[in-house]
Amino acid sequence: MKEEKEKQPINENRKQSGEVTRRGFLVGAGTVVVGGAIGAGLLSSCKGGEMVTTTVTSTKTVPTTITTTVGGPGATITETKTVGAGDTITVTKTETKTGGGLEPWQEPEISSVRSFGLSGFGKGGEAAVVDVKNGKIVRCRSLRFDGIKKDGSDATSTEEERAAAIWKIDARGKTFTALTKSNPNYFTFGYKKCTYSPNRIKYPLKRVDWEPGGDPAKINSQNRGISKFKRISWDEATSIVADEIKRVQSAYGAYAVYAQGDGHGQGKCLQGTHGANMRCLNTVGGYTMQVRNADSWEGWYWGAKHVWGCESWGTQKPQTNIFNDIAHNCDMIVMWGGDPDTTETGFKGQVTGRYLYYLTELGIKQVYVCPDLNYSAAVHADKWIPVYPNTDAALHLAIAYMWITEETYDKDYLDSHSYGFDKFKDYVLGIEDGVPKTPEWASPKCGVPEWTIKAFARDWASKTVTITHGCGGGGLMRTPYGHEPARLEVYLLGMQGLGKPGVNQTVFWIGPEVKWRVRVSYLLDGLLCTQMTPQFIPKPVFAEAVLDGHMETWGSTHLDAPLADQFVKYTYPIPAEEGGTEIHMMWATNPCLTGCWNNSFKTIEAFRSDKIECIVIQHPWLENDCLFADILLPTTSIIEDEDLYFNSGAHIGTVALSRRVIEPVGESKMDREAAMEIAKKLGTYEQFTEGKTQEEWFQFLWGKSEFSKHYTFEELEKKSYVMAPLREDWEEMPAGLSKFYNDPKANPLTNPKGILEYYSDRLAENFPDDMERAPVAKWVIGGSEADGWFHDESRWGERFKQYPLVLVSNHPRWRHHVQCDEIPWLREIPTCKIKGYDGYMYEPVWIHPSDAASRGIENGDIVKVFNERGIVLGGAYVTERIRPGATFQDHGARLDLITDGIDRGGSNNLISPRNGVSANCKGQATSGFLVEVAKVTPDEMEGWRKQYPDAFSRDYDPACGLTYNSWVEGGLD
Amino acid sequence: MKAFVFDSTICHGCYQCQLACKDEHCGNDWTPYAKPQPETGHFWGKLNEYVRGTVPKVKMSYVFVPCQHCKNAPCIDVCSIGAIYAREDGLIIINPKTCTGCQKCIDICSYKAVYYNSNLDIAQKCTGCSHLIDRGWKEPRCSDACPTLALKHGEESDLRDLINRAETLYPEYGLTTRVHYIGLPKKFIAGTVYDSVTKEVVIGATCTLSGDSTATVVTDSYGDFWFNDLEVGTFSLKIEASGYPAKEINSIKTEKDVNLGDISLT
Repeated sequence: MKEEKEKQPINENRKQSGEVTRRGFLVGAGTVVVGGAIGAGLLSSCKGGEMVTTTVTSTKTVPTTITTTVGGPGATITETKTVGAGDTITVTKTETKTGGGLEPWQEPEISSVRSFGLSGFGKGGEAAVVDVKNGKIVRCRSLRFDGIKKDGSDATSTEEERAAAIWKIDARGKTFTALTKSNPNYFTFGYKKCTYSPNRIKYPLKRVDWEPGGDPAKINSQNRGISKFKRISWDEATSIVADEIKRVQSAYGAYAVYAQGDGHGQGKCLQGTHGANMRCLNTVGGYTMQVRNADSWEGWYWGAKHVWGCESWGTQKPQTNIFNDIAHNCDMIVMWGGDPDTTETGFKGQVTGRYLYYLTELGIKQVYVCPDLNYSAAVHADKWIPVYPNTDAALHLAIAYMWITEETYDKDYLDSHSYGFDKFKDYVLGIEDGVPKTPEWASPKCGVPEWTIKAFARDWASKTVTITHGCGGGGLMRTPYGHEPARLEVYLLGMQGLGKPGVNQTVFWIGPEVKWRVRVSYLLDGLLCTQMTPQFIPKPVFAEAVLDGHMETWGSTHLDAPLADQFVKYTYPIPAEEGGTEIHMMWATNPCLTGCWNNSFKTIEAFRSDKIECIVIQHPWLENDCLFADILLPTTSIIEDEDLYFNSGAHIGTVALSRRVIEPVGESKMDREAAMEIAKKLGTYEQFTEGKTQEEWFQFLWGKSEFSKHYTFEELEKKSYVMAPLREDWEEMPAGLSKFYNDPKANPLTNPKGILEYYSDRLAENFPDDMERAPVAKWVIGGSEADGWFHDESRWGERFKQYPLVLVSNHPRWRHHVQCDEIPWLREIPTCKIKGYDGYMYEPVWIHPSDAASRGIENGDIVKVFNERGIVLGGAYVTERIRPGATFQDHGARLDLITDGIDRGGSNNLISPRNGVSANCKGQATSGFLVEVAKVTPDEMEGWRKQYPDAFSRDYDPACGLTYNSWVEGGLD
Repeated sequence: MKAFVFDSTICHGCYQCQLACKDEHCGNDWTPYAKPQPETGHFWGKLNEYVRGTVPKVKMSYVFVPCQHCKNAPCIDVCSIGAIYAREDGLIIINPKTCTGCQKCIDICSYKAVYYNSNLDIAQKCTGCSHLIDRGWKEPRCSDACPTLALKHGEESDLRDLINRAETLYPEYGLTTRVHYIGLPKKFIAGTVYDSVTKEVVIGATCTLSGDSTATVVTDSYGDFWFNDLEVGTFSLKIEASGYPAKEINSIKTEKDVNLGDISLT
């Protein structure tokens, strides 16, 4: 009989859960409350680990509300149901004990809707659900708007709400329907491993050989990233931080404290990873802000904006209705450097991948121009044109040459919509410099056969084409002189009538327009990251500013700064009479300078400067920049928080309210709480909180949302999320730049002339001698510093002789920038990590079989990627997914320094070029630079192992990488 | 009866099926359906990836391989203690309470879908997330996580249309499976036809494949031709375009996908 039962778990289930299950309540319900009014009739109770459900029969005159509360140790959730008039509610008596009668699968779980957007700034991503049991995370899953259960009993949205939010595109007889489930990124499904990572910072930590007070002999700044940490209490940590702030500000001035709160991070809102430090410092006189530059948008920002405005990032705006426009009007899309199946995921989940299959179904061709067969190209491309890295400008120019000489461009459009096209034409035809930019000229430069260039130009001219990118355009324009290909791309779009149906540029960010704005500006503390301070340091020049003690830039470099800002010169420090001072203390939230920004071996030098007397970092994981801190404050991961989520980038917009479902790991606190603890010690707690409780801030933020006009906070609480309904007229809304196309005078662009500027008068006036960013975009390869060039990173310079491969470093597939490097299940994916002969999981280095053979490299070998700036290691992935002459490694792998200049983790930003896209554009160029790749021989590795035994004795688990224990004295105890 | 359908032509390799499976089973005890999966090394729902062709004619294909829940499952027969059983809905379960870890089921599974958990000394594999299905869920984790709907799970009767045009993975194993495949990667022969004198591609050239199977395509606006869905075999290709002598390429073997490169007709 026993055996029979075990073979039939279905029957066992029915028998045990009885009435409760049939009513669709959670299995093993603990507490059942019946009644129309709050608090009526408690029918059961939880005692310790023992769960008791008592039964009462109650008949009600209704409609009434049944509230089912399921409780387990450490967790409670309430489900609410309304039943019709006259219903008899019967709850059958059952008596169960957890761990006794219930099998594990039957134990009660609670569910919490939140979001795993990884882009910070209060910007959620796709909604997702966390299921929790006994205070521990069971799973992270997609949110089924209509309920995960067959009977829909767990759905809190109504059919009407779903119908209003779930969009459809009908084009050419085929329909694309958004899913009735959220479509989260792959990180979501492993995120509990981030929350429970062995690398979590569990307690406040202090570096063992650092003492407060600023005495160079006692801060041992040279040991940052070398010496370990020891556990201290929150009380001690916050006292130290507050005292250091007071000391540094009184010795040097308020602006001597540097607040870093930018870059990417978990998509929290009130509990945001960005800006809590700034809020705190604002209560004591201010700070020097680290400005977030246009890190993923450099070429657009420094180049394309001069052609078409499109404030503030420089990719096309508006993006309205582009999904619909492409489906109806395009014959072809050209994905130039983009990989939306990869780079969109952290913002909006996976909808683009499915949409690209729909385009194929519609017969819309997809051409991918990129050195690497990226993840989107690998499955969606009808044609892959593998261009040499950072030579796209040659291909652009040859296409323009074909169109001009074959007269297959829209002259009438250019007459009415552009300025200075003749100057560009003169350059293309060689009238200006005697060099016609023919396919024959371009072919050896860009590595694409002449016949393919011609075919591409003609095919494009004969079709209606939108140029598409993933976020930031991948390797196209995060490069030395990236403003040139970016400008040229806009030139080409203009030549084909930019803005007419089916001719736009998109980064696939914006789905159909919704009725109520989901996003509430930048949220609260995050807002501070957008507000300039009197003194600031642009992120790409941080190292220079610290080490040289001063810096100058054209433009603040701020991602949100308008075009005109690029003609303003800024200096650091500002004059002393205005409060200017060098920085002497840093307080960073969620920093990743080493893994996401440029030339970061230099950044490490800056971290080790004794000018910086104290580095405070708050972060959930002991990784990357954290290793250089003096004080570390442990903060929570997104699953531990309670917060509001405004999921605006999602394929279906949602606003969610998430209550606490698990206890914070160790002694970690939410970012805002951590900053508040310091405010308490500074005596400015009241100013920090503005007298509002967290609950009042939730209400405040909710009040800022357009959704609050349609739902009460109590309704949100009850439903846990609400869906963004579409505008009724979204399909009729003007697509992209169609208004500009139809009437450029009435709908001007935001650049000075309001039309496409092929020639920029303003660049000519302000930078008359700039040969790298001339008034007209050109083929720029740079050269030696002696000749006045900013970069020598091309295949035609001196350095190429030593470093004959060009590294492509995209936004990573299996991380979001530096986030999520520790998820063991991702690390098992063949292109995520490669196991070296020593058992270490190396970051893959893609290399073509021909380039591998000539270097004696075999698949799986440990290799080094290097130039004069340093060495990063990797695992050879010998593949046809990369063209010869190029090599590829994602950026952002977790730092694991063997010694200065050698990183085992494979964080190639360490060896990227010095600051600047070009001389007058102090952004970052972190892809498309010269390296050589060589096999690391066992002798070389043994040599390092002997020379740097500490680096090889860190606590390392191949499943997740370095752990907390490797950097903390006494480890977990 | 439950069934899976996997359509390789709309799988973009996000691995969410494999990841969600691990999220569900690693560290979670679903006795009597399954005990916890080890943190790494098991792939109860495994996504395999294939890089096909050479630069610049390269494509990727992904194939999801869980336990096939065979109707004539050899693992059930080989289990001497009767720890493996088929449920009424067809899903096959290894009872973690009674499995003795003899590993005969692992050896006999042609699909290599059964794994040994050395810590627990038991065999483990895909349960079709029957612990969730029995709890009222619509789907197992893998298909629930699939963003492109490449992986579907449900009642065989509801999936009948898809199953009718699907095939079996490795039919040579002779097993009647409940996982059905659409668009399994076969082999391709591709190339670009051009004129090396004018440095132009040749558009509209007729390419005729003969040998183990026959097909005809014309080159597209890039001079490209693609013969897809070929079996492993030996083929000959004839390329004809007006104004050019015909060109023949023989003995093309498709053990691997073939990129013939840029072929000049002059």
